[in-house]
Amino acid sequence: MKFIQLYKKALLISTLVLLSACSSEESLTASILDTTKPQQSELDVWIGQIYLTPYNIEVLYKWNQNLVDGNRYLYPPTQTKIKPALEIVQRIWLNTYTTIGGSKFVKLIAPRQLVLVGGVNLNSTGTKTLGEAEGGQRITLFETDYVDKTDRESVKQFIHTIQHEYIHILNQHKPFDEKSFAKITPTGYTANWYETKDAEANEEGFITAYAKSNIIEDFAEMASMMLVNSKDEYEAIIAGITNPKAQSDIRAKEALVVKYFKEAFNIDFYKLRAEAEKNTADVIAGN
Amino acid sequence: MKLKNIINYLLVAFLTIGVGSCNNNDEDSKFDQTPTQRLQARQKELNDLLLSSEFGWKAVYFTDNTQLGGYTHLFKFKNGGLVDMASDFDSDTATSNSEYQIQLGSTVSLVFTTKNRIHLLSDSDNYPTDALEGKGYKGDFQFLYYGQENGEIIFKTNRAFIELHFVKATAQDWADLPKNIDMIANVIGAPTRPLFRLLETNDGTTIHQFDFNFSDITRFATANSVESGSSMSYNMGIAYTPTGIIVDPAVKVGNQKLTNFIYDDATGAFTATGTNNVTATIKYSDSPLMLTDDYKMLLAGNPNNVYAYIYNLTNTASTNSLLFKTTLNDLNASLPTGAQLTRIQPWFNNANGSNYIEYRFGNASGATIARYYHYFTVTEDAQKKVIILNPLQWKTSTLSTAPSITAPVFLKELDDQLMNPQGLYFIEQGGLPYPAYTFTGVNSNFRMTVYPFQ
Repeated sequence: MKFIQLYKKALLISTLVLLSACSSEESLTASILDTTKPQQSELDVWIGQIYLTPYNIEVLYKWNQNLVDGNRYLYPPTQTKIKPALEIVQRIWLNTYTTIGGSKFVKLIAPRQLVLVGGVNLNSTGTKTLGEAEGGQRITLFETDYVDKTDRESVKQFIHTIQHEYIHILNQHKPFDEKSFAKITPTGYTANWYETKDAEANEEGFITAYAKSNIIEDFAEMASMMLVNSKDEYEAIIAGITNPKAQSDIRAKEALVVKYFKEAFNIDFYKLRAEAEKNTADVIAGN
Repeated sequence: MKLKNIINYLLVAFLTIGVGSCNNNDEDSKFDQTPTQRLQARQKELNDLLLSSEFGWKAVYFTDNTQLGGYTHLFKFKNGGLVDMASDFDSDTATSNSEYQIQLGSTVSLVFTTKNRIHLLSDSDNYPTDALEGKGYKGDFQFLYYGQENGEIIFKTNRAFIELHFVKATAQDWADLPKNIDMIANVIGAPTRPLFRLLETNDGTTIHQFDFNFSDITRFATANSVESGSSMSYNMGIAYTPTGIIVDPAVKVGNQKLTNFIYDDATGAFTATGTNNVTATIKYSDSPLMLTDDYKMLLAGNPNNVYAYIYNLTNTASTNSLLFKTTLNDLNASLPTGAQLTRIQPWFNNANGSNYIEYRFGNASGATIARYYHYFTVTEDAQKKVIILNPLQWKTSTLSTAPSITAPVFLKELDDQLMNPQGLYFIEQGGLPYPAYTFTGVNSNFRMTVYPFQ
């Protein structure tokens, strides 16, 4: 078939023409983008040693508008207050999980970015957002300028944020028993949780008012409150509740938290709490 | 054969595309450099500029000139992304150190990346009015670079796109920053100055007057016309300078825009001067800006009218003057422990034609323990629009049979102010959560706020 051969030749020619059409003789030169490493401060080096290298966690403290809500009036941390805040996080959160869960635990399940914001994130309802966890990848901590290492309540509030957000991240890796959890206090959840005081929430079987927002937050509050408070402080909260049903509801939630850590990560939650308690006491004592 | 034709056409088409694709498509570039190179050059240009000024830069930042004033900031940029900064946000005018970056977003911008003085304007938890809850002072600390003009760097703020100029600072600017704080008291106004304050504009021929109210919390002033039928007003943010104030928006007089007011300590006035005798002055006045006929209802022949300063009502009125308050405090301090003056109650045109001021004393909980009455007659000065209380006898009871007593010495200082022989202005007072009038002494700093019982 003559025609077919003709087509073959024609096709070959056109392919060659097409292939050569875009040939360019310019050789590649160095990138015009600025690839020099930015200057590292003493703080940056320290962050590299404590967070980035061992845990693959990037700490972002310099203002970057893309990391925060542009509608909020926030500000970056004061340079000198960054390291003290990060030390608290390192000793009470990182070291606790590393000691009990093993050296790889946090490295494998961790937020990849820690964003620090110096100021308060005030909501229109008058509440203050202390932290945010986005997609399990990034935790934002607010009010880092206000942390006082020597003040137990201040340290507890600050560490509460990261303990709480980290529970969310753990939940995203291995879900907890939501069905059983939801059955304990099924009617107490509300979007207007901030209208309830903590003490009132306790009487309804919630560890904090915020726990009333939904079962995901309830679980995170339950676990983080146990880690933030010492055993005695936690027991005092339970003992202070007058409604026996509320007491037993909180105990039931506690049991589900303990069960979750055992089954999902083979961690004895009470040991974890004891370690957190020891580390918290050390930080406050300045050891 | 049809199919073959199609294939032939297709082949021709392919070849045409192939040949056509060899066209030189290097279009004429409008710029010598790539966009990336140009942005990098712009970043370098801004950084070099910031570093170039020996004493750094000064910026007077009006974050929202519809409700807030201006905050002066001084910046000294240093190598390594460091910046020294001072501001007059509060009395701490010391210099602090932090970091900055030239960042690339929608355009090249200057960002103060760790906390310093400028961030005080952007603290959601520190706001001057309830309306600004969660917004602080609406400040920004990321400024988009828009080039230079007359040696100034032009920025626009990242959030609100407010134009902000960085002007080269001098050593004097740094040394004088605390003087901005000293200026605040002069703008607030001293209680030792005359009681009335106004903004007066002069376009060279006509003078207009506006009452002047300033809030130091927001650094914002409002000035409304006192002329009847005029709704003209000037509302302005105020920034302090070592010699006076800068206002934004400008006060427009005629077609001139006045922004720089200079303080005169002798009179307490702030004056901005334009050309051709155009001026704007914030100054004090001895007499009310608007004289009313309110006083006429106190004259003889009118119904019985009673007013009172009340210890737990009008005592907090902002219209009470310092002289009134100190006189009252001195009097209370001279009383036995637990006793206090609970009412200063002028009665006009009583049924029997008498007038008197009732001074009522109470114990700590307000229960009445004593009363003194100072009788008077009323005359008017129709030109000045004031009433004059002409003192008569003192009594401890209003019964006609009650004897006169000698004037109580401890009441003299207060009573003399009300019996001011030059007279008293009597004017209805708005702006309080209850109906109110004020008695103000002519050529005096005495002003008392009273509640009307009728």
